[in-house]
Amino acid sequence: MIDVLLIVFIITLLYVSIANRIITYVKVLALQGFILFGVTYMQLQEINTLNLVLILLETIVFKAIAVPLFLDHLIKRNNITREAEPYIPNFLSLVITTIIIVVTILLANSVKDENLDKIFFIVALSTLFTGLYFIASRKKIITHVMGYLIIENGVFVLSLAVGNEMPMLVNLGIMLDIFASVLILGIFLNKIGDVFKDVDVDQLSNLKDY
Amino acid sequence: MTGIYLAGAILIVILIFANRNKIINNVLLILFGLLQSVFTIYQCSNYKGTDLGYFTSDSLGILFLITLTVVSLPALFHSYLYINRHDESPQSRSVYFAAIVLLITSISAAYLANHIAVVWIFTELTTLSASALIYHHRNKLALEGTWKYVFICAISITFVFIGILFLSLSLSGTGSSDLSYANLMAKSDQLNPFWLRLAFLFIFTGFTAKLGLVPMYTAGVDAKDKAPAPAGALLSSALMNMGFIGIFRFYTVIAQTPLHHWANIVIFVSAILSIFVATVYMTKVVNIKRMFAYSSIEHMGLVMLGIAAGGIGYYAAVLHLILHALVKSSLFFQFNQLYRVFQSKSVAYVGNYFKYNPTGAIVLLIAFISATAMPPSGLFVSEFLIFRALFEGQYIFVLLLVLLLLTIIIWAFAKNIFKILFTPVVGFDDSNVPQINPWESLTQYALLLAAVWLGLNPPEIFVELIRESVILLQI
Amino acid sequence: MLSLVLILIASLFFTGIIIRTKSISSGRKGPGIFQPVKDVWRLFKKGSVYSETTSFVFQIAPVVYFSSVAMAILVVPFGSTKGIISFDGDFIFFAYVLALGKFFSIISAMDTGSSFEGMGASREALYSMFAEPAFFILMGSFALLTGHTSFFGIFSTLHLGSYITYALGIMATFVLVMIAMIENSRMPIDDPKTHLELTMVHEVMILDNSGFDLGLILSTGYLKFAMYGTLIANLYIGELSLLYAIPAFFFIQFAFAVSVGIIESFMARYRMSHNPQFIFALSSVSLLIFLGVLLVLGKFV
Repeated sequence: MIDVLLIVFIITLLYVSIANRIITYVKVLALQGFILFGVTYMQLQEINTLNLVLILLETIVFKAIAVPLFLDHLIKRNNITREAEPYIPNFLSLVITTIIIVVTILLANSVKDENLDKIFFIVALSTLFTGLYFIASRKKIITHVMGYLIIENGVFVLSLAVGNEMPMLVNLGIMLDIFASVLILGIFLNKIGDVFKDVDVDQLSNLKDY
Repeated sequence: MTGIYLAGAILIVILIFANRNKIINNVLLILFGLLQSVFTIYQCSNYKGTDLGYFTSDSLGILFLITLTVVSLPALFHSYLYINRHDESPQSRSVYFAAIVLLITSISAAYLANHIAVVWIFTELTTLSASALIYHHRNKLALEGTWKYVFICAISITFVFIGILFLSLSLSGTGSSDLSYANLMAKSDQLNPFWLRLAFLFIFTGFTAKLGLVPMYTAGVDAKDKAPAPAGALLSSALMNMGFIGIFRFYTVIAQTPLHHWANIVIFVSAILSIFVATVYMTKVVNIKRMFAYSSIEHMGLVMLGIAAGGIGYYAAVLHLILHALVKSSLFFQFNQLYRVFQSKSVAYVGNYFKYNPTGAIVLLIAFISATAMPPSGLFVSEFLIFRALFEGQYIFVLLLVLLLLTIIIWAFAKNIFKILFTPVVGFDDSNVPQINPWESLTQYALLLAAVWLGLNPPEIFVELIRESVILLQI
Repeated sequence: MLSLVLILIASLFFTGIIIRTKSISSGRKGPGIFQPVKDVWRLFKKGSVYSETTSFVFQIAPVVYFSSVAMAILVVPFGSTKGIISFDGDFIFFAYVLALGKFFSIISAMDTGSSFEGMGASREALYSMFAEPAFFILMGSFALLTGHTSFFGIFSTLHLGSYITYALGIMATFVLVMIAMIENSRMPIDDPKTHLELTMVHEVMILDNSGFDLGLILSTGYLKFAMYGTLIANLYIGELSLLYAIPAFFFIQFAFAVSVGIIESFMARYRMSHNPQFIFALSSVSLLIFLGVLLVLGKFV
């Protein structure tokens, strides 16, 4: 069942690369939060219950509910237009995302370790690189933040792969998630929305070597 | 003592942040300065001891901690002068002081940590405090710089975390799960090389945001430009040393495994690219603080070349880092006086500094000579040793390329500094130039002379400490 | 033999159900279920008009198209009975004989010398090009999973047991349904009701056919739909006995037709420029099916 959920997770990545509207990205992030909730519940059976309950709560409350709601609020408050403006046409994004997944599969094939469930490795790395590509290929600042959240999800999946032996790492990952998301989302996007009327990355090119 | 230090520092941060009274803030600052010095002295006396299980004062940690204290005390003093002169609102003043105290605390803790996850936590804290410092002026450009810094540092921290995950994967075959450096060293021959390779790549890439190398150097350049100069001094000396420690401690583990040669190649590529990037930007940069920032990138590239070259290069790298911290911070401290005279950050509008502030101009001149590693600066010694290490390691082509690039950098730097010092600016109205107190340059003279002394005639204990810190690499 | 008979029967009412569903969901009563058959019968009785700019290609193309689909039907099995022709690798034969028919319809459209048909032909070619890897990767994954390379072998030995094979089955159904929609030029790729040249894909290719030829082309379309429906049904009824398999088959065909009608009533067609990425997404999903098959087979730890 974990494999099925993780394959659905990759399908959401493909969907994100061809989506046109920003609301779709937010909905996909919420969906990823729910998928991760299911995967966490099934994977981390061996750590003590209190820790598990904490991690599950964090996944469902933070990733699946709080962050998408907050993003929604930000979009409405800053009057961000619906279109996600990419630099690269969607078709090419889809091709590149598929290539990323294929390359990750090939890379995972060359690993000779039996301790690791390969599917975690594939999902984590493809999510990471897709998130990076996402940041680099979109114009709006809020899509940069969403790309960062996608990277966070990928890191979480990877930490689940080792979570049974070292639950501290999963906790650290969650701390990173909350800290970075609160810092980036909460403080700066508010300020950026107020100061820069047009939340476009082109506005952020004033610091130059002039 | 570490526990007391951390608790006391957090308490001071909260108190400074919470109250707006000027006198109380200044008292708290002096208190923190005392706390920092006491902590440093304690760690020197507690050589090789472990506090709280996670903080070990080994030789490299002590060296960097002393450097941090030596730089941070003038930084606090100059911050106090800066804030007073600018007549800031109480809120921005307390945020600034709280952030700078938090920055110094987290850097000190990161120097002494012996567990990779603890280093990671404190690096995150430095991102938070540095971004508060960069956003101090709260205008549009500062916001842009802060946003870029926060975003790139967040991605880099995530990379380091992924590296830690891969590291724990490489440990999974050995049966232990302790990620402290001592344990990693002990188990270094049983680590899975595939995961170790990936871990090194990710941790190295992540820490280059703090260290200032390709590929993540872009965060630091804008940060040092936009932060007030005393904070910029800390960012370009102590923070870069923290990035170095993050990479170096892991590198010593890698050096015991067969991946040593591969890791050297990775570092070589990154260092040479960094020096190249610094050269390109130095030739066209006009903003003085950005020029200092690019010069820092070039120095960090040299340091990593020393690490990758091996031999005497290890000793030279650590020496170079300490001396560079002293010299670069004195440059940044001097910048405030420059700005007060000319009200401009651009080389085009600054000139004939000797006429308005001879003491400060001499500081600039000596600092320029030191930063470009000309004798009698101590940096001459360390750079010469790095070149010798490259030569002895048969990396002749690299040596020639780096020498060529450094020549171009010296030319670009000199062109700008000599314009600042000697060439009068056209149309500059010098009737309102404030009188700069020459005693304000005292701290910079002290730092520069310390750099000369440590380079040319270092005390025996200093040499011993540096040798001790790289002893694990001299297999 | 059984599959041929069943497909012929299904094709009689398939399109009628689609049109009926669309009418009911828009609040009308709609034409009878056998109306499309009556239309074809009427067309068979008429004469054809051939333009003077066309050549022999235009005249033979509808026949070639019809015979290609007929040959493809011969290969499709039904549950545990073979098709009339069955050999190893016959799904490749299936794909390429359909491609032959499509090729002839494309060149007959270009033969008319009209720019409308040329535009429709180029779009049709583009979409088929993107849908082809999806089909091959899908069938290849199933061949890998079951170890056989003929349609009959694959479908008769396909067990849907564990969670992951169910997930694969659902994804495969999705891909096949979408390929069926693309091949038959229905929503959301192409709107069969539109007659604006800017938005036509398939309709425009047959603008100039008339009479017997048009009847052949329309009936080919109905047969193709039923054929794809049979493929989808085969995924699920591989091991059932004939007593259950035939009702299940009709039920699945009926459900397929109703869902096509519902999709057509409630979805707008995608923007023309978004169609290629949607079709390519099918190939990416097929790649994931391939990954899933590798996981099931344990070729991946």
